[in-house]
Amino acid sequence: MTEEKIVVANKGIIRAEFAFWVGQYMDKFYDALENKKIVGNKCPKCGDVFVPPRKICGKCNETIPLDQNWVDLPDTGILKNYTITYYKINDRASRKVKKPQIIGMVQIDGSSTSIVYRLLNIEPGEVKIGMKVKVNWEEATKGDPSDIKGFSKA
Amino acid sequence: MEKVAIVGYNQVKLYSDANYGRYEMIFEAVRGALDNAGLKKKDITTVVSATNDYYDGRTISNSLTVEPGGGYLADESKVEMDGAHAVLYGLMRVLSGNHKLAVVWGGSMASSYPAHTVHLYETDPTWERPITYVSDITSAGFQMRAYMEKYGISAEEIAKTAVKNRKNAVNNPLALAEAQNPNITLKDVLESDIYSDPVTELMVAQPCDGVAALLLAPEKQAKKITDNPVWITGVGLSQETYYLGDRDLSTSKSMELAGKMAFQAAGINDPNTQIDVAELYEAFAHEELIFIESLGIAEKGKGADLNAEIGGDFPVNPSGGALGGNPLCATGLIRIIEAVKQIRGEAKGYQVKNVNKAIASGQIGMCSQNNILYVLEGDN
Repeated sequence: MTEEKIVVANKGIIRAEFAFWVGQYMDKFYDALENKKIVGNKCPKCGDVFVPPRKICGKCNETIPLDQNWVDLPDTGILKNYTITYYKINDRASRKVKKPQIIGMVQIDGSSTSIVYRLLNIEPGEVKIGMKVKVNWEEATKGDPSDIKGFSKA
Repeated sequence: MEKVAIVGYNQVKLYSDANYGRYEMIFEAVRGALDNAGLKKKDITTVVSATNDYYDGRTISNSLTVEPGGGYLADESKVEMDGAHAVLYGLMRVLSGNHKLAVVWGGSMASSYPAHTVHLYETDPTWERPITYVSDITSAGFQMRAYMEKYGISAEEIAKTAVKNRKNAVNNPLALAEAQNPNITLKDVLESDIYSDPVTELMVAQPCDGVAALLLAPEKQAKKITDNPVWITGVGLSQETYYLGDRDLSTSKSMELAGKMAFQAAGINDPNTQIDVAELYEAFAHEELIFIESLGIAEKGKGADLNAEIGGDFPVNPSGGALGGNPLCATGLIRIIEAVKQIRGEAKGYQVKNVNKAIASGQIGMCSQNNILYVLEGDN
């Protein structure tokens, strides 16, 4: 048998640049992030508060009007779940690293859902579901998801 | 309703880096299924495939699989989900009354794509993808921890499932060699590298290279083709919302609803006594426990107490399950094939005694967002 030959190793032959418009609701959310504030919106039917905000409550199949039901929320929340990984997950090749990252699911106070961010300045041994956490803002915000650097103990 | 049977099947041996071209592997699977049923290319009236453009590294990936997949000058289309979903589509094609033989095949080769990178393309591009904290890796950790916290389950109890399935895989000649370990212990599983705490590497169903195929025929043709048709008597499908932060990850609402739908169609009131064996697509060890609880086979939080060994009270994944090898787009299809083998008494080396009714499941999405469940029955 001959040696295995890889004819096409697709390294950068195609570079597809996608550009997704975030939509009117997320636009307001990112504008708020840029000002270091968190906003959500509330389903007129079930009362669930979504962070980030949405046009549709999937459960109720209801539209949340763009000009109504906005809720200003604090930058604090409760840790609902977490995982610790040695994969460098914010690197697209997911290489392994020496220092683990703790990723948490945080329910912003006053909201009904959780968002997923890195936990900062918390050691693996002290992380606990139910702990109070607060946003660590990037100093220079850009109006995108990276404005929230992560969450640390409140 | 017209009855539809599975009348032939084939699966290639799973490899972490197969010495095959993509299309050679597809042909071996599909042609093997035809040979298994004593049929020829001319007997095929429709083909449904399951592939993924990201895994194949090309768009409209089924355009190049026409000949190996049996679709040459035939009616063919693709389901970009699990192979178990392609079976539903094939079933509907046969139930339309227009088709006498449907080929359903699915598979991928993990050796040819960057596994974690393609999964990042599952995430919401306007919110989660730029920061990449939601991924196939972290979602596994969230799901296992949610289950452990809700019911006070230990990692040891979940590792038991990884031990069982990896030991079962030893007797399955088609399982992935790296997954087969006759001497594996709980300690090995718990002390393997952390994937995403509390999930360890040996609790993960490793993506690999593989293709599987099966054949569907309506009752009249099925009885002509084989003395051992396996009837699809129930199927259920459901999906949850995408955002992990909206979901209760300690359970699987979609599997519960899929189970209800499939059991109702098949007249199953008590799966625990009426079903003889289950082949479930567990992408991680903890998912097997979550699924058997969601299907009502074990009480909530008690999945680990069920004796799911081959000779146990309710055997689950006697073939080794997805932990025995996870060729994406084929894995759920292989579960169905394994259930067929059990019913036909063809699961040599890992046969469960006296099987006439079996269930098999497929899934897709993070934390098994979408689940499909089949009830399969033999003639006895």
